Amino acid sequence: MNVYLLQVVNGVGIGMLYFLLAVGLSIIFGLLRFVNFAHGAFYLLGAYFCFQAIKWGLSFWLALILVPLIIGAAGWAIERIVLRRVYDKAHEFHILITVGLALIIQEAVILVWGPLGENVPPPDILQGIVMWGNFVYPKYRLFVIAFTAVFALLLWWLLEGTRLGSAVRAGSESTEMVSLLGINVMRIFGLTFGLGAATAALAGVLAAPIRGAEPFMGLEAIAIAFVIVVVGGMGSFSGALVGGLLIGIVQSLMSTLWPEGARLMIYVAMGAVLLLRPHGLLGRG
Amino acid sequence: MHTLKENYQLVLAFATVLAMPLFMQSGLLAAEVLIFAMAVLGCNLLLGFTGLLSFGQGIFFGMGSYALGIMLVKLNMPLILVLPLTILVGVVSAVFVGWFSIRQRSVYFVLLTLAFAQMFYFLAYTMTDLTGGDNGLLGVPRPPLSVFGIELLPLESSWQFYSFVATCFLLVFWFLQRITTSVFGRTLLAIRDNEIRAGAVGYDVRGFKLAVFAISGGVTALAGGLLAMMAGIAPLSSIEYHTSEMILVMTIIGGTSNLFASLLGAGFYVLSADWLSSIWPRWLLLLGVLLMLISLYMQQGLWGVLEKLWHAVHRRRRREPAISATESEQQS
Repeated sequence: MNVYLLQVVNGVGIGMLYFLLAVGLSIIFGLLRFVNFAHGAFYLLGAYFCFQAIKWGLSFWLALILVPLIIGAAGWAIERIVLRRVYDKAHEFHILITVGLALIIQEAVILVWGPLGENVPPPDILQGIVMWGNFVYPKYRLFVIAFTAVFALLLWWLLEGTRLGSAVRAGSESTEMVSLLGINVMRIFGLTFGLGAATAALAGVLAAPIRGAEPFMGLEAIAIAFVIVVVGGMGSFSGALVGGLLIGIVQSLMSTLWPEGARLMIYVAMGAVLLLRPHGLLGRG
Repeated sequence: MHTLKENYQLVLAFATVLAMPLFMQSGLLAAEVLIFAMAVLGCNLLLGFTGLLSFGQGIFFGMGSYALGIMLVKLNMPLILVLPLTILVGVVSAVFVGWFSIRQRSVYFVLLTLAFAQMFYFLAYTMTDLTGGDNGLLGVPRPPLSVFGIELLPLESSWQFYSFVATCFLLVFWFLQRITTSVFGRTLLAIRDNEIRAGAVGYDVRGFKLAVFAISGGVTALAGGLLAMMAGIAPLSSIEYHTSEMILVMTIIGGTSNLFASLLGAGFYVLSADWLSSIWPRWLLLLGVLLMLISLYMQQGLWGVLEKLWHAVHRRRRREPAISATESEQQS
């Protein structure tokens, strides 16, 4: 029984990281109406920037704050300079241009850091394990759960409680209507894309001490993020949270019950959700 | 003259198939071009003629590879029977994926096809008994094509195999050209241009989409099967997400306005990948740049570029208006 409890906690830990990965993708989709294939590349950059920062002797904590800001700014700039030019083109080019961007980033990472992975140590204070009676758990993973929970609350407040958030949510309903109300939609687009990139980078920084940094982690991550968005429902904050946790827990439990099929079960879970609710658990029809 | 104008793409494809042996040293590379061109045709049928952006073409490609491999390696079936069955496997898996996916539109459709691609990948990865898992299905033979023991075509040498692939390719090309110029194809264009209107006129939009998905799946599976024969292995990578992306990228590089553009896109991709990867292992960086440039400046793909050149040369020639679905509907 204890094993399963541990796996559920593990699943929550993985799931919170998945949530971070998927929420940016989901918000970008909701507002800008395209699938951002470069999302995994921002996650990848986050992990490598974290590695580089620690190599330079900067602290993990500084990286945790600075890296998402830098990559968020880069995402904002890319949206303004490049992506904005294709919005009036056919839909496949919105996707294709992000596929191109993802390829460029991935290959550039290999050029700079080489094709092999790098290890990133967790900060000293979070090394080791905590013990509560029978319950043993790595400190760093507990920190990730707590940190992402706080961050999720912040993000929720940003989307639900601020003017920017209302503009983003209203824009997901109808971009035209929002611009008719006198809000500069293009500005919101840029900020949203930057925010999405920053959350992906944050997920990358947090994941680096757990799984290291390697050039193809972006591809792997984005595949999972797509599933979560499909399961949770597109453009939905709570959908990303529920989807992320569900997929994390399913993956984690299955890795004890049937290790070879753990990844496959994620997709079976997705299929089941789609059969019952075609628009995802919390998506609107 | 009239028929030439109608069939000029088939003529162009035929000419390319004949010309390739004259200019290329490797028969297998030439065969690879045609194999991927076939898969790209299947993708073009969806994207260019129906407006469906499928990220799951690798599913059917990989299913084709495995189906052909399993039938040849484990069941020892004759090739003449294996080929249509491979197509059938593609059709069945496309109907399965399509049945779920086409209920959704635009971006949701893209995501669903992608998620299914991952699902089939892990399915293949998990079922090691059938697929060989990570190692791939090894030892796929290249038996001669024979009917009732009469050998029609040996496939031993690379150019013999090329001629076999070329025959398959031209048959598929001809078949797809017949389809796209038929009433069925015109209906697809109507769905592409305005789905809601097509539905309102009374067409069964979902039925048409499912049918075209099935055709595309069959064609793509045949391509996947032929690649397994060529390489002697049905690798796990043939069902990977990467294959889906590659087929889609080739389709868009070539252009989606007509069928010959698919051959152009596949040829460009396969040949430049073959050339570039030997000089610079990070050539995908260049591909990324090319994709961004295409998205920004040349949405018609290579075909569009050639067309512009053609018109620049024959400036006096009046440009013929493209036949759109609405026009042909008005005519009938």
